[in-house]
Amino acid sequence: MRRWACYLAAVVLCAGCAAPKADPPASGSTPGVDAEGEAAVTPRMADGKPDLNGVWGGGGGGDDQAKPDANGNLTVLTKQRPCAPTQPNCAHAVNFERDSGVMQRMNPNVPIYKPEHWARVQELDENGNQFDPEFHCYPLGVPRLGPPNKIVQTATEVVFLYRSHNSFRVVPLDGRPHDPVYSQDVNWNGDSVGSWDGDTLVVDVVGFNDESWLAWPGWFHSNNMHVIERFKRDGNTLHYDVRVEDPDVLLQPWDMTPRAIKLNPNPKAFLIEDPPCDEQDYKHMTSRERG
Amino acid sequence: MRHQRALVAAAVVMMIGAAPVLGHHALHSEFDTSKRGHIVGVLTRFAMVNPHIRWYFDVKNPNGTIAKWEITGAGPQSLRANGMTRIWKVGDTYDVTFAPARDGSNLGRVVTFTFPDGRVVTLYHEDPNNPNDR
Repeated sequence: MRRWACYLAAVVLCAGCAAPKADPPASGSTPGVDAEGEAAVTPRMADGKPDLNGVWGGGGGGDDQAKPDANGNLTVLTKQRPCAPTQPNCAHAVNFERDSGVMQRMNPNVPIYKPEHWARVQELDENGNQFDPEFHCYPLGVPRLGPPNKIVQTATEVVFLYRSHNSFRVVPLDGRPHDPVYSQDVNWNGDSVGSWDGDTLVVDVVGFNDESWLAWPGWFHSNNMHVIERFKRDGNTLHYDVRVEDPDVLLQPWDMTPRAIKLNPNPKAFLIEDPPCDEQDYKHMTSRERG
Repeated sequence: MRHQRALVAAAVVMMIGAAPVLGHHALHSEFDTSKRGHIVGVLTRFAMVNPHIRWYFDVKNPNGTIAKWEITGAGPQSLRANGMTRIWKVGDTYDVTFAPARDGSNLGRVVTFTFPDGRVVTLYHEDPNNPNDR
């Protein structure tokens, strides 16, 4: 009965949730981009491969439209909540992180752990303020890091740039195997090699640490995790699909919920510096509530 | 049982594809957003840091001693997007209202800054005048 009530609560909460606010596209346009920001065709590199170059997606945080009133008074509200991209009229709602926490725990796309590991997942989730590495300024790591904010592509390598922690990944496309040493190292973003499967860029990643999480609800992984990322450009949309294989702790591969991000049509779009992280909140926490 | 399955299905349909959300922190665990505190202090440092911006103040006690106060806000990008990162001046005196820390320390989550010239800058996660947002 309690579970039934929780599902009902999730439905109610979802119905009113709002999208993270994206950086507004600036004025100006990119050749081949129509008024709606959709390219008629997927642009291609000289070698015929899809051209993934560009700044992808927006940012978040802050009311970008905030302007001072006649007296100089200014209000900036950081309204952000989870929101299904298909949800119409997805307006700002209330309770901020509290709803966010409920939403993330109710995510139905859960990795299927081996039975002996569920207790650890629950402990990490219940004590996420203490154990979530992201909470304490550590990197998100692949794949929690999500798709890159900018892609720089050549015929022989692709560079992923991320706003988060000003981080980057350089992925060779020349057919080389994983580095024999680095692929056995313990990295937040792993050792990546890329190849083309038709028009889809496939990035194979190994060599992880066992500190990063797959997601907020305590979804840990082992350092034998194997991640396969797939990037497919369709016009000005980049589809990002991820499969996680971790037979040490998972009963079966886990497919992250697919992401689709838009190309920033502003030709002058750039990545802004991510300030350093200085976590000072945990020592003041009075409960395990988090958002 | 049929209703239960329908609700589960509805929840699944509505949540699939939900975008990742802000990752940290625990606002309600740290601050009592139903209350308001108030200080008048001299800004000693403004820190553009993740995960939350921080302002540091010297507040003069009635007996003349100085109390150190710390005020936090949202993530630093929220100010950047609005070109606000240079509006606070170290050495100026600000009137600050905030949601107080639950542990009683000299710490608050900012609601409003009143600047020396009378301008009021409100920085909050939702509408601070809406009791349902607290």
